[in-house]
Amino acid sequence: MVDNEAGGRKHVDAIVIGAGPAGLCGAIAIAESIGDGTKVLVVDEGIEPGGQLPKQTHKFFGHEGFYASVRGFEIGKRLVDKAKELGIDFLMQTTLAGIYEDSIVAYDRNSNSVSEYTADYILIATGASERFLLFKNNTLPGVYGAGAVQTLMNQYKVMPGKSFLIIGAGNIGLIVAYQLLQAGAKVKAIVEATSKIGGYMVHANKIMRLGVPILLNHTIISALGEDRVEGAIIAQVDGKFKPIPGTEKEITVDTICLAVGLQPSVELVAQTGGEIRYISELGGYVPVRDENMKTTVDNVYVAGDLSGIEEASTAMIEGYIAGYNIAQKITGKDLSEKITDMKNELVEFRKGPFAAKVREGLKKMGISFPSGGYREEIQQIPSSPSKLKAVIECPQAIPCNPCETSCPTGAINTGGNINGVPQVDYEKCTGCGICVTKCPGLAIFLMQQREEHSIVGIPYEFLPIPEKGSSVKLLDKNGKYVADGQIDRVMINRKEKTHIVFLKVPKGMEGVVRHFEMSTASEESQAYICRCEEVSRNDVEKLIDAGITDYEEIRRVLRIGMGPCGGKTCRSVVLQIISEKTGVPISESRLGAFRPPVIPLPIDAIVRYAKGVDTDE
Amino acid sequence: MGRLVEHPILDVKSSTSKAHVVFYFEGQPICALPSDTIASALIANGIDIFGFTEHNHARGFFCAIGKCSSCLVEVDGIPNVRSCITPVRDGINVRRQEGRGKPKW
Repeated sequence: MVDNEAGGRKHVDAIVIGAGPAGLCGAIAIAESIGDGTKVLVVDEGIEPGGQLPKQTHKFFGHEGFYASVRGFEIGKRLVDKAKELGIDFLMQTTLAGIYEDSIVAYDRNSNSVSEYTADYILIATGASERFLLFKNNTLPGVYGAGAVQTLMNQYKVMPGKSFLIIGAGNIGLIVAYQLLQAGAKVKAIVEATSKIGGYMVHANKIMRLGVPILLNHTIISALGEDRVEGAIIAQVDGKFKPIPGTEKEITVDTICLAVGLQPSVELVAQTGGEIRYISELGGYVPVRDENMKTTVDNVYVAGDLSGIEEASTAMIEGYIAGYNIAQKITGKDLSEKITDMKNELVEFRKGPFAAKVREGLKKMGISFPSGGYREEIQQIPSSPSKLKAVIECPQAIPCNPCETSCPTGAINTGGNINGVPQVDYEKCTGCGICVTKCPGLAIFLMQQREEHSIVGIPYEFLPIPEKGSSVKLLDKNGKYVADGQIDRVMINRKEKTHIVFLKVPKGMEGVVRHFEMSTASEESQAYICRCEEVSRNDVEKLIDAGITDYEEIRRVLRIGMGPCGGKTCRSVVLQIISEKTGVPISESRLGAFRPPVIPLPIDAIVRYAKGVDTDE
Repeated sequence: MGRLVEHPILDVKSSTSKAHVVFYFEGQPICALPSDTIASALIANGIDIFGFTEHNHARGFFCAIGKCSSCLVEVDGIPNVRSCITPVRDGINVRRQEGRGKPKW
């Protein structure tokens, strides 16, 4: 409930600016604690609440308490539902235009009017905006922020292009690349100026096995095109990130995605008089705040990316910490237990190597977080399991444990610390595959060595879902073709939307094969073998896969070799394919009959001969 | 370019929904979904040049969340409307903005 004050100003106990994960959790914490949601007002510029969650289609890392293994857009929905249940007021499409000494001014785009507020407490959770990158033609339409592409593609279901170049191999660049592939776009490359992939290796592996190259020590020099992007020039960079002359390369793409980091949106904190300091590890200019998320102004709190670029999970935790602190002051109740719980969560989430920058940055503000205490040792993969077993390829210490918590037999553990590298107890693993569908990094595979071939089960989140029995090209972890294989079966998971595709692979290749390509989709398979009857390689392969491996039989079904040329062009090719696919050497296959006539004879010529007509007549 | 008609994770039924909104861009009718912003509707229709700068450089959108002001268009004669966070409405007249935009009084 918003109380009206003199002068048309409205008063609330707490105003929360920003309806993303941090703001929502902050508002929920306040509303829950004071037992009245109507005393909390959430203001946001967006059309719907949720911040950047609605555009996140991947499953989040972390643990169950903070929605690990739940897709971002679903987390957004749950938080918004919870906030609305608590009766929290939302003022959407409203920009907090300024925080003045005497009032907070909100501009409502819908009604094109401003309104004034006062609040006892302000929680600012305005998030961050995308960093810009300086290169020639960087304002050309077609050069978009990575987050913008996500918004368009995942929230509005509109594709801004067909082939993409991504700048930056941090988590955002890697995730966007994967999501573009899921939406059916092409990703030509990811270029990264530094010498290493900044994001999680599990995210990088997801796109590398689909064949997307990650070019380290590379940058973009220029976008090409007159009125919109038609390509890009990239080049290698030296140790000082300067392009090396002569290494320039042109790439044809219609969209360039910038994923070069985020910068906190500090404007409103600055207007409250809160101190702003430049701390590069936290993303640039950030508000100075204490461990309770309080800024240098007594009743102003911050949370989420605004207070330092990090993850949605930590943004939620920070939101709770700020919210409980505000609620404690409003109600006078002791909420220290809840606050301590949340602080302990943060400690856990920030122990790993990926939080090193955040720890460094916070230290400069006088807030220290411990590191270490987790397992880094990578388990040796069993060489040839005769029963289906899970193999986890999650080599870095990241704060995530759904593999452990989802395993029905307790076979997986992260070593007592959420950051620990997971290990499998192969005595207990039944190969059920639940962890494969739960792992947010899609880093768990199933393996089995059978008599005649091996089986690899891979997590799969693409369309179309392959059909059992169809032949596929097997790809390694870099997306390189390694052998031909077959779809053994598909375990469809409609709820999780992470399916498991079981591939039949040559024996001994279970440690190599990490993805596949539908054979029918390849350009080679669309090639014609038989010019006369227009029979493609794919047509022939399908028949062979269905068990018809004799040239004569194939000829009868497809009419291959029955056209005017009599098989002169196609016979040897078909025999070659039969040999490749069946493993029977071409020298041992049945050649098929060579029936006369060798060339099509005009019936007239035969009739004349039969009648004894002199051809010279 | 265009709308997603299938997706392995997302529900894209709305993309093929019959309910639609018609507005005008540079005088041409544009068919949009009720859930569209002006920017998403334009891009879905293959339009990615939203305006021209004072120096006549083409401009499109950049951040899609209302922060960068790259996507400014003129709506019913009013310039500087952020197309990325403005929902479409039936019958609105959207034009490419030139430079800072000249209000029509």
